[in-house]
Amino acid sequence: MISKTLVAASTKPVILSILVHGEMYGYQIIQHVTELSGGTLEWSEGMLYPVLHRMEKDGLIQSQWLISDNGRKRKYYHLTKQGQEELEKDRKEWMKVHRLLNRLWSPLALPD
Amino acid sequence: MFDLEKAIEQWRKSLRKNQALEDGYMEELESHLRDKIDHLMEQGLSDKKAFTEAVEKIGDRDHIGEEYYKADTRKLSRRPPWKKELLPVALIPNYFKTSFRKIKRQKIFSFINIAGLAVGLACCAVIILYVVNELTYDTFHKDTDRIFRINTFQVNQVGEFYMATSPGPLGPMLKSNFPQVEEATRVVPPFENPDNVLVVQKNKRFFETRVFFVDNSAFRIFHMPFLKGSPEQALTRPHTVVLTESTAEKYFNEEDPLGRILQIEIDYDIGIEQVELQSYEVTGVIKDAPMNTHFKYDMLLSMPTFLANRPDFETEWLNPHTKYNYIKLQPETDLSKFEDNLALASQMVTSQYKERLNRPIKVEFDMQPITRIHMSSQERREMEASGNWYYVYVYSMVAFLILLIGCMNFVNLSAALSATRTREVGLRKVIGARRKQLIGQFLGESSLITFVAFIFSMVLMNILLGPFNRMAGTELSIAGLTRPLVLIPLITLLVLVALGSGAYPALILTAFRPADVLQGRLAPKSRGTGVQKVLVVGQFAISIFLVICTLTVFKQLGFMRGQALGFDINQKLILRIKSNLNHLRRDYEAIKKDFISSTYVTGATVSSSVPGDHDEGGYYMTTREEDFSDSMRLKVNTVDYDFIKEYGIKIIEGRPFQKENKSDVNEAFVINRAGLQELGIATPKEAIGKRFQAHYHRKWKTIVGVTENFHYRGMQETVEPLLLDIETSLMDNLTLSVNTENMAALMKDIRSTWEAHFPSVPMVYSFLDENFDRVYRYESQMGRMLSITTTLGLIIACLGLFGLAYFVANYKRKEIGIRKVLGASHWNIVSMMSKRFAGLVLISVFVAGPLAWYAMTQWLQDFAYRVDLGWFVFAAAAVGALVIAMATVSIQGMRAASVDPATSIRNE
Repeated sequence: MISKTLVAASTKPVILSILVHGEMYGYQIIQHVTELSGGTLEWSEGMLYPVLHRMEKDGLIQSQWLISDNGRKRKYYHLTKQGQEELEKDRKEWMKVHRLLNRLWSPLALPD
Repeated sequence: MFDLEKAIEQWRKSLRKNQALEDGYMEELESHLRDKIDHLMEQGLSDKKAFTEAVEKIGDRDHIGEEYYKADTRKLSRRPPWKKELLPVALIPNYFKTSFRKIKRQKIFSFINIAGLAVGLACCAVIILYVVNELTYDTFHKDTDRIFRINTFQVNQVGEFYMATSPGPLGPMLKSNFPQVEEATRVVPPFENPDNVLVVQKNKRFFETRVFFVDNSAFRIFHMPFLKGSPEQALTRPHTVVLTESTAEKYFNEEDPLGRILQIEIDYDIGIEQVELQSYEVTGVIKDAPMNTHFKYDMLLSMPTFLANRPDFETEWLNPHTKYNYIKLQPETDLSKFEDNLALASQMVTSQYKERLNRPIKVEFDMQPITRIHMSSQERREMEASGNWYYVYVYSMVAFLILLIGCMNFVNLSAALSATRTREVGLRKVIGARRKQLIGQFLGESSLITFVAFIFSMVLMNILLGPFNRMAGTELSIAGLTRPLVLIPLITLLVLVALGSGAYPALILTAFRPADVLQGRLAPKSRGTGVQKVLVVGQFAISIFLVICTLTVFKQLGFMRGQALGFDINQKLILRIKSNLNHLRRDYEAIKKDFISSTYVTGATVSSSVPGDHDEGGYYMTTREEDFSDSMRLKVNTVDYDFIKEYGIKIIEGRPFQKENKSDVNEAFVINRAGLQELGIATPKEAIGKRFQAHYHRKWKTIVGVTENFHYRGMQETVEPLLLDIETSLMDNLTLSVNTENMAALMKDIRSTWEAHFPSVPMVYSFLDENFDRVYRYESQMGRMLSITTTLGLIIACLGLFGLAYFVANYKRKEIGIRKVLGASHWNIVSMMSKRFAGLVLISVFVAGPLAWYAMTQWLQDFAYRVDLGWFVFAAAAVGALVIAMATVSIQGMRAASVDPATSIRNE
């Protein structure tokens, strides 16, 4: 399990990274996350939607209602240009942290 | 059996409980839920289990809602409104809107409310200004708490006297002997001609009254800012004068007065036949004396000038009259120790009386803080009339009562109007307003009304200040409102009024149960009618109380101005001869003759004082040749042959002075009834023929007549013993009995005769009845003040009654319509309406009567001669109030009665 704060912090880049592959609705996003994380990253599912709402208000993603094959109304989200830029920015930041931690945790990281 | 659709439906409804979740959000969540359930059922779960797990997975509704709320509201508080303590900030504009709407829609009621409060507030503001002005006399001096005046308390054979004056050498002696005294100054009015100092500059000639000799140290004691000249040496040389700004302008216009010369005539009482004008150099200009000081001056002359003429002043310890001594003590002086020092001085003077004059006169000096002089001085020879606590209280009380009537209107009308507002309150409650909020709203409303009233009251106050200043002799201005001492009580008052008049309507209006209101189950009039009645009674009780007081004051004033005075006060013109007195004293018979030659002048008489004057002059009288050790002192008025006749004074025994008896000049006294006892004579008959020698002129004279007591000093005081004597050397007033039908012609005649006899002397005249009003200054002030405020109070109370009647007429519109249809006449309807209120007014008569009776009995106690209260005053007030109240109500009654029943009964 991953701590709440880390989940909260990573939500936005995770969603952006998923949506970069194409239009998706909320349930799908969650499915992807669960699959890809091997069940280690579990969201309180309802909480996804306010986050999506916020990101849409911030102009990172856009949504539209579509009727699916089985007749169910679903809200699909896709990245905007601003969202792609944001993803790029996030990616760089996260990689920086990632590299730093990698080095710190490698046995050769620090001279004794 | 588990119904999935029903469960989902239930769940969706439960989402609605969170206010942040909007339809779109919920739809999306539902879609998610359904996907999840499908997914779980695919994995083999039962629909019920799938539903439960899906719901659990989605998570807590309120958490989601909160997150949505955060996403939707960026900057504001992150707390959702339903979790906030209810501060209706957002609703304030709405409250203002509804309040303004209410004011606009209910024009009559708003007018009555605002008018009543505005009048009350204006009265209160004026009175606060007045009271603060009275109580802050002489507080503007620097180190005012260290400045004192030395008063003299003297006990002699005649009695005990407190005097504001003290012996001339006292101040300098204290300064040179006691290190505690930082500064001392003497303030000496030109005591022989204090109110007629002739001042000449080229062709400008005026009589000045506020002229004083002072030591130069006065500038270090009193706050007298110099505009020109130097405070260090302005008054160190003889024949120098410092002018106030406006006096300088009066004599020199725009020119620089420094170094210029003024001719000033001072009578030093040193036996010079003709007092002369002397030259004074202007050495300084200071700011005008403020209104709130007991020591008001226009010209300050140098003390060396005075001492050059009266060197005895520096050494004479036994004359405490006419000189004021002020001292300023060092900081942190031990007052009780210094008082011991003063006691030494007292003893020294007391023993001097004994050794030099062989008189058992006891003298005590005491210090009076300068700030206490105005309100607490009881001393004789005070510089100006002192303030009067009694009237400060009375005026404050009256202003407060007027405000109270205004507030009662507000409460009463709001309560009556509650009927029309129950729906609004009900709706607000249904929508979720809490009671606290509603109370806040109503208080806000009363605050708004109070505020609007306050603005109007400022306008009104500006109008009221003019007459008030003329009446009270003050110079209050609206600018005084900025003083914290005025501002703080005024703002407190505003807050109290807003809370006081808003509280009751707020409480009763918000106590309704919304369900009752909205279903129309609440009879609108059932609330608060008891309180309404009490308030109407209160208003009218106050009004009637004031009416009774006003009538009583005027009754007493009329009594004091009328027959009971014992002499004729009307149509008497007084000429004050202030210069060239010798001409008057020598040739008065000729002068009188010239004045009487006018067709408008019917008589003339000359005397040393006229009724109403505060003349302390008196003779020591003895029955033993040149032995005055056991003498009796009698006030004296020196007169001519015509005085008793012209003033219509009644002789009860003997005869008045007679021209035919040439010897009367040297051989006759006339005495008043009160004087008999003073001289040890039992009856008027015995007095005739008694002989006395007067210390003043050493003549032996015989009492030839006894007059009835006449109230030459007003009727607050008992008539003191008075001697009438023909003695020309003291005469300085000319009384003309005139016919004022043609004022212009009268004044023209008088002026031309005056100029023939007293060329280049300004003519100073007055009418005796106006003079006498100064004696009754406080009483006539109170009379006028009461009559104005009583009228205002009655008007406000009637406005309130008008409003209530208007309300009742509207409320009973249908009842009245039906009555009319059934045959009621206008009169029936008017009387039906009036009956409600007539009873209330009658009750208030019974409330106000005893209170007024008590208050007026107390007030009349202060008069030596007073009217009976009499039932008539009470009856007049009661009938008056009833008639006015009924007239007010009847207007509404007539209006209601003349409405066509067809329109009033129709129900649509």
